[in-house]
Amino acid sequence: MEYKILKKDQIIKLYNDLTKDYNFFAPIKEKRNIVFRKITNPEEIVLDYLNSKVPPKEILFPEKDILFEYKINDNEIELEEPKNLNEQNIIFGIRPCDAHSFVLLVNFFSQGDFKDEIIINRRKNTILIGIGCNTPKSTCFCTSVEGNPFQKDYMDVFLVDLQNEYLVEGISDKGKDLIKKLSWLADAKEMDIEKAQELKKQAEESITTKLDLKDIDKILDPNFDHPIWKEVSETCIGCGTCSFLCPTCTCFDVIDENVPNKNRGRRIRIWDTCQSCLYTLHTSGHNPRNSCIQRVRNRILHKFCYYPENYGMLGCVGCGRCVQLCPVNNDLRTIIEKIKKIEPKREEKVSA
Amino acid sequence: MPNPYIPMLTKIKTVVSENKVNDIKTLELVFKKEEDLKSFDYNPGQFAEISLIGKGECPIGIASSPTEEGSIKFTIKKMGTVTTGFHNVEIGDTVGVRGPLGNGWPIEEMKGKNIVIIGGGFAFSTLRSLVVYFLDERYRNNYKDITVIYGNRDSGEVLYRDILEEWEKRDDINVVLTIDREEEGWTREVGFVAAVVKKVAPSPDNAIAVVCGPPIMIRTAVAELVNLGWKDEQILNSLEMRMKCGVGKCGRCNIGNKFVCIDGPVFSLAELKKIPNEY
Repeated sequence: MEYKILKKDQIIKLYNDLTKDYNFFAPIKEKRNIVFRKITNPEEIVLDYLNSKVPPKEILFPEKDILFEYKINDNEIELEEPKNLNEQNIIFGIRPCDAHSFVLLVNFFSQGDFKDEIIINRRKNTILIGIGCNTPKSTCFCTSVEGNPFQKDYMDVFLVDLQNEYLVEGISDKGKDLIKKLSWLADAKEMDIEKAQELKKQAEESITTKLDLKDIDKILDPNFDHPIWKEVSETCIGCGTCSFLCPTCTCFDVIDENVPNKNRGRRIRIWDTCQSCLYTLHTSGHNPRNSCIQRVRNRILHKFCYYPENYGMLGCVGCGRCVQLCPVNNDLRTIIEKIKKIEPKREEKVSA
Repeated sequence: MPNPYIPMLTKIKTVVSENKVNDIKTLELVFKKEEDLKSFDYNPGQFAEISLIGKGECPIGIASSPTEEGSIKFTIKKMGTVTTGFHNVEIGDTVGVRGPLGNGWPIEEMKGKNIVIIGGGFAFSTLRSLVVYFLDERYRNNYKDITVIYGNRDSGEVLYRDILEEWEKRDDINVVLTIDREEEGWTREVGFVAAVVKKVAPSPDNAIAVVCGPPIMIRTAVAELVNLGWKDEQILNSLEMRMKCGVGKCGRCNIGNKFVCIDGPVFSLAELKKIPNEY
């Protein structure tokens, strides 16, 4: 395996080399938050961040995404495919949990008879140059959900911050090819690799939340009507922050957006949340999930019961955004701890 | 693979007002492209996402039968923005169609069985599709006795009156129509659907029942069937949920780990008992 070294002041060179062929997305500071943006000035890149507020899933699955465009001339209607689907992207500086979420996104949108080629194509055309988390946040729990602060399997190229420079490792074939093109990268020394190992160990140890999620779906499934759902939803105000900012949430609404005073427009999808009562409201007024209890339960069950049942993996990557950003401090980790404490139902004794 | 969100384009061929109140209409659509007509290969009980481009889209059960070739029909109640839009269309207007979607009625499993079809109100559209399919001369012999029990609030609400009268004249189908209260000139049954089910007392032997209607009607009619000895596996329902994409992606029609749009809308009572009561 070949390791390279990228000096911190060489990021500009890296950007200049790659931006000819790729849209270069990177974390920058915008309104005091870290966000992933297609950048034009590499000096804006911020890599010593804990995590972005809005996950980079918005590059694959934008908050507002065109499904098709239309033109209406009298009664003749023309429909056009969304454009720019074949553009090549690089996401620079993505964190392991968010790269993990891309696996879940692509898995979900590839299911069944109807594939979402819009998202599948974007992923195919995107190279991930990720970076390990030397100092995970207090809300991080990736190690409980099959992840790791130095999880590199879902990246194309993986970086480790060695303070003055980055250790660069090609992971996928795409990533290895990319590194070959960057022939000016210096070779790494044995001690750089050892230092990265040490940082990995420190990072893993710094994550104190340890949730045992093995077979959690088997606890959740029979406890759909357990009183715990009332308890854990009591303070929820249904704002939907937890799901809008979740890197694995995929729900969307569809609307037709007409260009004012023009005979054209586009059908778009926009992020939606199962935490809103409108989400399931029928036109008739009937609402299958009318209460906050049902909606909170649906979110938890979706990630930790339905997703594992349907696809054999957890629907959470442990980024901790829902924990950190909930306005009423509802903590997913606490909810899971409570669920884990549910006593298994005793077999009812039947006597003749 | 094509973009699953782009509709095929159709033109409205006919519009029929189905009830006295005039809030239910049946639109007949013809595909603009021959290849779209061919690709729209459907079973009774499936649905489609139909749209007025620029207004929006909604999921509607297919009211026509695949045996009625050349066009497709949708019966639409005026409820919200899009359905009101559909009530204001004119012949020749363009309608977008994505489909067929969902599983539909299990016409293969129903072969060789007695069929009992129980419907209430405007939920009769995919039942119309099913009965028209069964009565087609190519398929009628695949099924045994067919009984249709169809109830409405009053006589003005009865959908598909012409075709119901044709069915009543046939001797290979037993059609029982009922309305909630007596009306002058009404010569058929009077009373709620459940009461009529009790009176007709369909036998569960080698039979499948299909029940569609408002929740209260489903509950009471199913209770009568259970009293008559029907098993949960023999009773089929078609569920309605709010939907956007219809292809298992937008998320909102989930009941437990199932999506009504792709795993349903048809579920047996036995299947429904295994999933949460969130519908």
